[in-house]
Amino acid sequence: MLKMLGAIMILLAGTVAGWIQARRFAARPGEIRRLILSLQRLETEIGYGFIPLPEALRRIGAQNREPLKKLFTDAADAMEAPRSWTAQDSMHHALKANWSNTSMKTPEREVLYQLAFTLGTSDRTSQKSHIQSAVRALETEEAQALEEQSRYEKMSRSLGLLVGAFIVILIY
Amino acid sequence: MDAAWLSVFPETIRSLLLRLPEQLLKELEEVRIREERPLEINAGGRFYFLKADGGLTVNAREAVRTGREESHRLLDLITNHSVYTMEEELRKGFITLPGGHRMGLSGRTVLSKGRVEHIRDISGFNLRIAREVKGAADSVLPHLLDIRGKSVLHTLIVSPPQQGKTTLLRDLARAISSGSFGPAREKWPGLKVAIIDERSEIAGSRKGVPSFDVGPRTDVMDGCPKAEGIMMMIRSMSPDVIMVDEIGRPEDAVALVEALHAGVRVIATAHGKGIGSGAALSPLLAEMAGGKLFQRFVSLSRGEHGFRFRVFDGEQKPLL
Repeated sequence: MLKMLGAIMILLAGTVAGWIQARRFAARPGEIRRLILSLQRLETEIGYGFIPLPEALRRIGAQNREPLKKLFTDAADAMEAPRSWTAQDSMHHALKANWSNTSMKTPEREVLYQLAFTLGTSDRTSQKSHIQSAVRALETEEAQALEEQSRYEKMSRSLGLLVGAFIVILIY
Repeated sequence: MDAAWLSVFPETIRSLLLRLPEQLLKELEEVRIREERPLEINAGGRFYFLKADGGLTVNAREAVRTGREESHRLLDLITNHSVYTMEEELRKGFITLPGGHRMGLSGRTVLSKGRVEHIRDISGFNLRIAREVKGAADSVLPHLLDIRGKSVLHTLIVSPPQQGKTTLLRDLARAISSGSFGPAREKWPGLKVAIIDERSEIAGSRKGVPSFDVGPRTDVMDGCPKAEGIMMMIRSMSPDVIMVDEIGRPEDAVALVEALHAGVRVIATAHGKGIGSGAALSPLLAEMAGGKLFQRFVSLSRGEHGFRFRVFDGEQKPLL
């Protein structure tokens, strides 16, 4: 009886792990898309609105859902008093603190990390071109994430169950 | 002590400045930061380098040097992390900070069609600390009065940079606008004063509101090109007196003539040295000065014992 209960629990755990993994695959393209939209919004705020960076990031944060919301507002907070960090440090700090809450992977993080070096430090034309190149890089990642989703989402779901079953068989 | 300007500096530089003697801090006029070179301060017409322990020296070799990181941080702080919102300022080469202080910049310029489009790789900073000196105009004002019109005469104030032109102009605005400018025994009412503050230095406006006391009847057009601003003010604000800083372009002259014809009194300042014989003025200014536009000229200089001024009449003959 106890053995049975253990087996069911292992099966359940395997399934849940598979589901979580599948969800990450499913969520990643959506988050990248929202990140792209946010950066495009940032481009507009900078290019046409002359909105200072902290204010622009705060606005974009307010429009977004978690986890991106916190990423942007954290960066804006760090730039303003009392911390008054540089734009670069603030962005890097926000990335470090919030990245694990997203479903996105290292390449996307790297894009934002690189963008942080130039954000706010040059004139509008060059800001726009930096943001546009970040958007293009993210679009490539998005395409790849979609492909991975279609390939691995279902698979990881069933794989979770199968691995659970496999362990149960081994134990029995 | 009011030293809000300290907050524009990165921590490393701020802590050095805070270690200065209080008296010196009060008299501080400029803080100069040059990448990879000694940190310099100017106070009371003298210059010093700062040592790492906060002490003063005139020997550049003993001085503390600021690095790339500091200039990067400083630029980030003074532009509110947004250099792109300061394109106009960067074209002009300086940024006005809260409180009317002014940060001059130098670096590598980016040209477009032969004109300066932008400064990049900014490595030199010069903070000029603006100070309100109430009463700075007291000794000059009696020479500029139009007794019959109960107003002031058209006046051009000339001096090299850093001799107190803007301070004088600001206090003139305050005195004329608040009605404390007439002869001792008479009580003249304050006049409507319009300031065209192209470089946000006279009134030190933040979001359109002056940070300095420029008087109760004073309107400020902030960040506006002078020629255009003069015309706008005449049309919209019906001023008695117009004040502009650092005139010198052909279109300024046209607008000034327009103002004179509109019956508005003008007090302007210009870069230059002296008036009359031995004066060093730009050709355009010399033409304006010789054209009987102005009824009074004031030349400022600063020596060991503070400010000195000389007053000339419209023919550029010395009155004082």
